[in-house]
Amino acid sequence: MPAVTDEELVRRSKEDDERAFGELVSRYESKVYSLALRMVRNPEDAEDVLQDTFLRAYRGIKSFQGASTFSTWIYRITANSALMRLRKKQLPTVSIEDQDERETPVNIADWTPGPVEQLMTQELQHEMDEAIDALPPEFRQVFILRDVEERSNAEVAEILDLSVAAVKSRLHRARLKVRNRLAGYFTDTEKPKRRIMGAH
Amino acid sequence: MLTCKEVLDSLSDYLDADMKEDIVNEMKKHIGSCSDCRAEFDTLTMTLKLYKHEQEKPHVMPVGCHDRLVKVLELEKLRSKGAPPPKMV
Repeated sequence: MPAVTDEELVRRSKEDDERAFGELVSRYESKVYSLALRMVRNPEDAEDVLQDTFLRAYRGIKSFQGASTFSTWIYRITANSALMRLRKKQLPTVSIEDQDERETPVNIADWTPGPVEQLMTQELQHEMDEAIDALPPEFRQVFILRDVEERSNAEVAEILDLSVAAVKSRLHRARLKVRNRLAGYFTDTEKPKRRIMGAH
Repeated sequence: MLTCKEVLDSLSDYLDADMKEDIVNEMKKHIGSCSDCRAEFDTLTMTLKLYKHEQEKPHVMPVGCHDRLVKVLELEKLRSKGAPPPKMV
């Protein structure tokens, strides 16, 4: 028997079919939790975001017009809820419009040769987490949705209610920030260094 | 010929294959001949590979997380139907 579509479950949920809404919860709770955890970085906050997301969805399902898919809608609520939580925690509040376009490290270790598996250590994993933690929330959202969850620019734009150009701009700057952080980590190691010049 | 700044500003689009073919060829040519831009390209590429590798690990919801979510939604249903909130013990 073919699975009931999200659209059908949304339609039934609007008619107070609570089992239909329960099915939507079952379909999306782990994906929502995963996105929330990647954004807020600890299980307690991620669970709060999960609950907040589905509460908002439950309250708003009747006004959901279906202009986007249910999945885009639920991820948008998740991203907004996580953003609110990050802002409350006073994470880096650099204005995302006022930063230098160029963020080039002075020195960078030559850490690119070799397979990923050889580079990956617990210490590096910790540094990678720190690099994400150091991103302003608006950059973090884009980086996670695009480079970790591997969504398209168009989908990220729809989820975050941004233009594709804005997504691409934030993504590029987020990537440079993360890369520079990792470059700093590798520069502090004993590995051979390779100089990276700024724009010229 | 693209300048280094133009190449660096376009690296993300290049990595995402989100540019016209003639610009891609220009980028390739520049990165092939400029060690500084090649290092930028290599390190950015490796950064994304590291995250992709790391994030392939699934995130499992903690034990009891689903049940707590269901409970929260049930309370919301009661609240929306005008039922008094349950007494907290």
